[in-house]
Amino acid sequence: MTALYVLDVPENAGVAEVAGRDPAVTVVRIGPYFEITAEGPIVIDRRATGCRHAVWYSSVAGLGRSRITQHDKDALRVEPA
Amino acid sequence: MTELQHRVRGVDHVAYPTFDPKGTVRFYRDVLGFPVVHSICAAGWGPEKHPDFIHFFFDIGNDDRLAFFYYFGLEPFEGGPQGDSYSRFAADVPVYFIRSRHLAIHVDSEEDLLEYRRRLDLSEWPVEMQIQHETIESIYTHDPNGYMIEITRALRPVTPQEDLDAELTIDALLDVVDGPDPSLGALLARKAELIVERAAAWEADQQATPAPAGSGGA
Repeated sequence: MTALYVLDVPENAGVAEVAGRDPAVTVVRIGPYFEITAEGPIVIDRRATGCRHAVWYSSVAGLGRSRITQHDKDALRVEPA
Repeated sequence: MTELQHRVRGVDHVAYPTFDPKGTVRFYRDVLGFPVVHSICAAGWGPEKHPDFIHFFFDIGNDDRLAFFYYFGLEPFEGGPQGDSYSRFAADVPVYFIRSRHLAIHVDSEEDLLEYRRRLDLSEWPVEMQIQHETIESIYTHDPNGYMIEITRALRPVTPQEDLDAELTIDALLDVVDGPDPSLGALLARKAELIVERAAAWEADQQATPAPAGSGGA
C-alpha cells in the first residue's frame, strides 16, 4: 500500500486532482489533508498539475510506509517502502 | 502544547555593522526612501578598547527599524573572499548557505513591490532576482555592505491549515533530527503518522471554534 499526504491549499489542488485521475488511486480527506493511496505506485505528472517548481518540490506533506523514487521536473513517483 | 501568552509586538530593530555609511545612507534613505528616524553618537568607553561609533536607524515601516553601527577607524576583518561586512566566508562555502541569512521586508501589494523594484533598478543596486515562491513574490538585491535584502508580498493570505501543517512539520522534525536518519524521508514518514493522529481532530475543532486565518504567522 502506498500513501501520500498533501495539504489542501489552493496551490496543491492540482496535485490531488491529477493523482485521482488514475483509477487505481483513491483520494480521501483527513482533516485539511488529501490522503492519496494505491496498492501500487502513485505517479503524478507535474505539467498536468500546473504547479510551479517551488510549489511542486514542497507539495508532499507526508509518506505512509512509502518512499519517493522520483521527484523531478517531470513527475512525482511514490512506491511502497 | 504550551499556553504561553504571545505578548511580543514584532521587530523593534535589527542591527548590522557598516564600513560604508555613505553607501548605506544612499541605499536605504535616498534610493529606497526609508527615513532616518534615530541616531546615537557615542564615545567609546568601558574596559574593552572600544572605538567611537554612530548607531543610526532607518524606518522600515510598521514602526520597525533597521539599524547600523559605524565604528570610527575600524577596518574590515579578514575571513575569506565571500560574504558581507559582518561575516566573511572561505571560497568553498556554498552560496545557498551564505544567502540563508537575510532580511525580508514586507509590502502589501504587487504595485508596491514593483515600485521598490523601479527604485532599485534606477540605482547602483538593481534587483538581482524576482521570484514567485510557494505563496509569496519577492525581489532581492545586496546592499552596499553585501547584506542580502528581500522585499516580499503575499500572493494570498495564510490559511489556518498552514499553521497546523507547520506545527506537524516542526514536531516531526524534532522527532527525527537526533535519530539515526535525520532526512526529509524520515520527517515525511513521521509527519504522516502525526497527520493520521491529529488532522481530523484539528478540523473538528476548527469547525467548532474557527480561528482567524494566519493566526500563527507565516
